[in-house]
Amino acid sequence: MSAVVEVSHLTKNFRSVTAVDDVSFTVEENMIYGLLGRNGAGKTTLMQLLTGQDFATRGDIRVFGENPVENAPVLQLVSFIKESQKYPDDFKPKHVLKSAPWFFPFWDADFAERLIDDFRLPLNRRIKKLSRGQLSSIGVIVGLASRAPLTFFDEPYLGLDAVARQIFYDRLLEDYGEHPRTVILSTHLIDEVSNLLEHVLVIDEGKIIVDQDADTLRGSATTVVGTRTAVDAFVADREVLHRDYVGGLASVTVGRLGQAERLEAADAGLELSPVSLQQLIVRKTNVSQKEFEQSA
Amino acid sequence: MTIQTEPTAPAASDRLGGSRIIAVLRLNFVNRFAVLGLPWMILGFIFVVNLAIWWIIFSSVSDPADRADVSEGLQYSGASFYIFVYMAVVGVQAIAMTFPFALGYSVTRRDFWLGTALTFVVLSALYSAGMTLLAAIEVWTNGWGFGGRMFTALYFGGTEAPWFERFFLFFAAFLFFFFVGAAIAAIYQRWRVNGMVVFTAVLTLALVAVVGVITLSNSWPAVGEWFAVNGPAGVVAWSLLPTAVSALAGFLLLRRATPKT
Repeated sequence: MSAVVEVSHLTKNFRSVTAVDDVSFTVEENMIYGLLGRNGAGKTTLMQLLTGQDFATRGDIRVFGENPVENAPVLQLVSFIKESQKYPDDFKPKHVLKSAPWFFPFWDADFAERLIDDFRLPLNRRIKKLSRGQLSSIGVIVGLASRAPLTFFDEPYLGLDAVARQIFYDRLLEDYGEHPRTVILSTHLIDEVSNLLEHVLVIDEGKIIVDQDADTLRGSATTVVGTRTAVDAFVADREVLHRDYVGGLASVTVGRLGQAERLEAADAGLELSPVSLQQLIVRKTNVSQKEFEQSA
Repeated sequence: MTIQTEPTAPAASDRLGGSRIIAVLRLNFVNRFAVLGLPWMILGFIFVVNLAIWWIIFSSVSDPADRADVSEGLQYSGASFYIFVYMAVVGVQAIAMTFPFALGYSVTRRDFWLGTALTFVVLSALYSAGMTLLAAIEVWTNGWGFGGRMFTALYFGGTEAPWFERFFLFFAAFLFFFFVGAAIAAIYQRWRVNGMVVFTAVLTLALVAVVGVITLSNSWPAVGEWFAVNGPAGVVAWSLLPTAVSALAGFLLLRRATPKT
């Protein structure tokens, strides 16, 4: 395994705001990463730093072993699709799809054609007049067909309907199977992409708070449901991520449970249910929010 | 440059090579209508309107001396100024819209600027060639048959200038408008509204200072003389200086600019 991205002690300040705060992590080759976090957590800024579009205040970024800023040999291996991508006013989708192959050495024209059909993208309409979903589909098509060894998708499917999103997931997985590459996917629709992700990075308030294998992460929390007294007794000396009380019933999310602990819970008449990735991340980012407020 | 850790990298780094600058050039031309079609169409419309006016004047004035007088006056025609303003706008849009788009294609700022500068040179050459040709026809047809003047106005060398002088005048003027437009847009890309406010303020103060110095030292006649001595070709040659400064400034500004989301 080799690292495609290596980041150490990366910080980015905008005047008084620290968007990325002393972040260190690596991204391994040919895996699908989820970069998750709330709005304003620093996801887009982090991706802009990794693609040389913004400049770090401190710290070190290596992409394919080199600093990406103004580094043409490295950047041509990178495709960065963002929700906020601007297109020239007089452009039509055909102009985008005609010019993209000039910039991406691994561009697959047949694949692009197929995607245009899949997403029913009108090629000859002004981009300004496209719907939000059609606009997003241009980015998705370029991002997939460019087949860049390192592909970033930043909220790629704003406005895409459920069918189109499913097409995106399917095509991504299919093509990833045939042409392995490193994909970093940033999104709010965590549960939808949950099965796609192999590794999860969660960023909150500019810090990486989770950097874990997706399978490990999925098993890392369990919700315990039962009567209030029984649940409280069971979770008394465990780390609690979240509590809900309804009348005499309680639903409490705790960390990983071993086999013995599961039996113990069953004996106490408690029900155990897995926690979805989305719930887990909501819990994690909420906790750190509270801690932050307490320390402030 | 070597790439040590990534196995797919070496194969790809040779695939595009220096052609990224050419790719940016092609990107600037991808919508051909906007850069090559529309400007000529508008210029054609302006020409037709002017032709109609010349015809009206020509038909209503019959004395040859009066007609010569009209032609004399038309040497100050500004009918083709529009095309230079249009190209300044093309320069602005290259930075305001194509730059953020090209960065989305993982183009470096350096390659973008070089490819775009090349675009400006190519466009200037194409439009200068076309206008030089039109000027030649204008002379040859004695003002399109009505003594009209649009491409041989005084600032473009008048009717006497040789073709290469005309070409140079047009070429340098186009370059000036492209690069100044691009440089001003680059200030906006780099510092946004604050940059524009400061730039406008500094420019205004500088102009007032220049006017003040010339007026207080009674140098206006000397300024007029400078223009007369240098002639259109000389004045336009001097414009290459601010053009070059704009080209360099644009590059330095963009090198630290981040398109805002």
